[in-house]
Amino acid sequence: MKLFAIIKREYLTRVKTKGFLIGTFLLPVMMFAMMMMPAFFMSRAGKSAQHKIAIIDQTERLQDKLVASFTEIKNDKGEQRFQVQLFTSDEGLDAAKNELNNKVSSGELDAYLVILPDIFENNKFEMHAKNVGNFEFVERVERTVSGIVRNMRLEESGLDAALVHRLNSWVSVTTFKVGEEGSTQQRAEVSFLYSLLMGVILYMMLLLYGQFVVRAIIEDKNSRVIEVIISSVKPSQFMAGKVLGIGATGLTQFLIWIVTFMLIAGYGLSMAQMFSPEISRLPIPDVSPLVLVSFCIYFLLGYFFYAGIGAAIGSMVNTDSDAQSYQWIMIFPIIISFFLMFAINNAPDGLFATIMSFIPFFTPILMFARILNEGAPMWQVGLSVLTMGLSVWGMIWLSARIFRVGILMYGKKPNLPEVVRWIKYS
Amino acid sequence: MTTLKLEHVHKSYGDLHAVNDLSLSVNEGQIFGLLGPNGAGKTTTIRMIMDIIKPDAGRIEILGEHNPKKIRDRIGYLPEERGLYKKMLVREVIQFFAEIKGVTKSVVQDKAYDWLERLDLIEWKEKKVEELSRGMQQKLQFICTLLHEPRVIILDEPFTGLDPVNTDVMKDVILDQKKNGATIIFSTHLMDQVEKMCEAICLINKGIAVLQGSLSEVKSRFGKNRVKLQFEGKADFLNDSALVASYDEYNQYVELTPAAGVKPNQLLERAIQTATVQRFEISEPSLNEIFKTMVKKGDEA
Repeated sequence: MKLFAIIKREYLTRVKTKGFLIGTFLLPVMMFAMMMMPAFFMSRAGKSAQHKIAIIDQTERLQDKLVASFTEIKNDKGEQRFQVQLFTSDEGLDAAKNELNNKVSSGELDAYLVILPDIFENNKFEMHAKNVGNFEFVERVERTVSGIVRNMRLEESGLDAALVHRLNSWVSVTTFKVGEEGSTQQRAEVSFLYSLLMGVILYMMLLLYGQFVVRAIIEDKNSRVIEVIISSVKPSQFMAGKVLGIGATGLTQFLIWIVTFMLIAGYGLSMAQMFSPEISRLPIPDVSPLVLVSFCIYFLLGYFFYAGIGAAIGSMVNTDSDAQSYQWIMIFPIIISFFLMFAINNAPDGLFATIMSFIPFFTPILMFARILNEGAPMWQVGLSVLTMGLSVWGMIWLSARIFRVGILMYGKKPNLPEVVRWIKYS
Repeated sequence: MTTLKLEHVHKSYGDLHAVNDLSLSVNEGQIFGLLGPNGAGKTTTIRMIMDIIKPDAGRIEILGEHNPKKIRDRIGYLPEERGLYKKMLVREVIQFFAEIKGVTKSVVQDKAYDWLERLDLIEWKEKKVEELSRGMQQKLQFICTLLHEPRVIILDEPFTGLDPVNTDVMKDVILDQKKNGATIIFSTHLMDQVEKMCEAICLINKGIAVLQGSLSEVKSRFGKNRVKLQFEGKADFLNDSALVASYDEYNQYVELTPAAGVKPNQLLERAIQTATVQRFEISEPSLNEIFKTMVKKGDEA
């Protein structure tokens, strides 16, 4: 009852702050925008646009084929994608380049290609454009020119180009992700990005909410309400109330994100598709319930573990700046597990990954990352929940002992021997 | 019946003996004053009673309990350092502090309304605490201390920072609580309030109890030998050490202690030789004077 009063107060005052609202609703919007923007711009500037290009062909044998090939290419709307013009100049290559540079600068041309006579030996040609960062465009041009050059070579050596093509055709891989419901098609990099994103969210939330605990306790200490509270409830009740209240805020935030995500994935996307069919190709990974549940479990376990440390730190000091000199105890392991998440990505089922993911400081993030990558057998997941649960219990026990003494200490911050004495005798 | 009993309580911080062998007892229904100059150990004593800090030695018994956790909800405590959650609404703060004393929500609301009405804060019910003036915040904290109807009320310097009007309001509130049967213990260094309200006192200085008992008992111990004298004219007789042991000048009168063996009449005879006496009164010493005498004695020792 009393515990509930403290949890309720902590939860309600937090949820009502502007910071919470902004963090909760702006983040998904920003993430969604970040996912959409590149696709949006790519489709605008890329495949659906029309490009004017000029070609300087010094071999003088490729030009017809070049024009033919480029004009065949269609954009997404089914229109001709490239308008090609051949460019020749009597005043030499440099003069020609100068003239074309001006045209590109003025926007009359999007790009021009320079094909030197030695292309058959050097395997090189040049492309000049204002913007050379559009990979899709560059690749398209490169592929078209290469195709022509290769065909020429084949013809010249008396081989049947069509036959060679058929014999030589490229084999591509389609990746499938094996999940609960059999295998679903998913591109490898999407799966990596997706687990990275979830890992980053978990990392950010642990970092953020751990520090919330530190700050909440310092605030109470400074507003001097502590004395009344401690004379009404047990210090351990007070600490539990703080930790649970803040943890509930974190869980609320995550649930709001999930719901927003579902809405975006469900309705938002189909709406967006009406405006731009491109978006339907966006890789929206299917979030399995297992992943959501394990996110919640590892967030809570990790949160309680680090909140325990945070509560102890908060109780020992009086100001935010004092807290800074202890906060590394909490922040370092979280950051290290973040980097380890990348390190184990290649071998999530390896020995290194297994050992690291059982160290309590790293378990929440690493074990979760391994689950995402299908690198952890169920028994290990179960075992890690158990060991992490015990670690949380131990950490809370330790913190409560520090908390009981520290919470009523005003004045200078304690040194290590003092803290050890608190743990022993409180 | 004894509500609070301290037996040989010690507390030191390093070399400093904040409280040294303190014993006292407070009877049920009393208003008890814990007096002493700044740094005497009043707040430390109160914190030990409240189980916020543990005594190094000695026993504390409250409402017949040695385990303070069991009677927590029956005590109301106003700490010296006032503090409320500034971002919360007045109504919410009251509710929170009542709930952590185990009062249920529905009970809180009715009582909170009565209290806010009585202390003239009803219009501020939906305002944030930080919008209130200091005096109002202090009244609000009073409500938070008393709403759960504690049997024992412990107030650390309850009147500091209040204007005279609010001081009177608070005094009435405290007297009302006493009427309802609560035991009230408060610390202060304002002797006026003590004289008006307390039935028993304990004066501590440098962690040691130097004087305790009921107010009348303490006063009679100092004898009925004070003279209050109001006059016009020359006051040279005050400096005659054969006649006057010590005196305090107040705005309208002087309060003096005659030298040993000097009868008040002799003093009056001498006074009328050089001055026109307007008032002559033989009385008990004021608590203020006792306080100063005892503290001075303690400092010299």
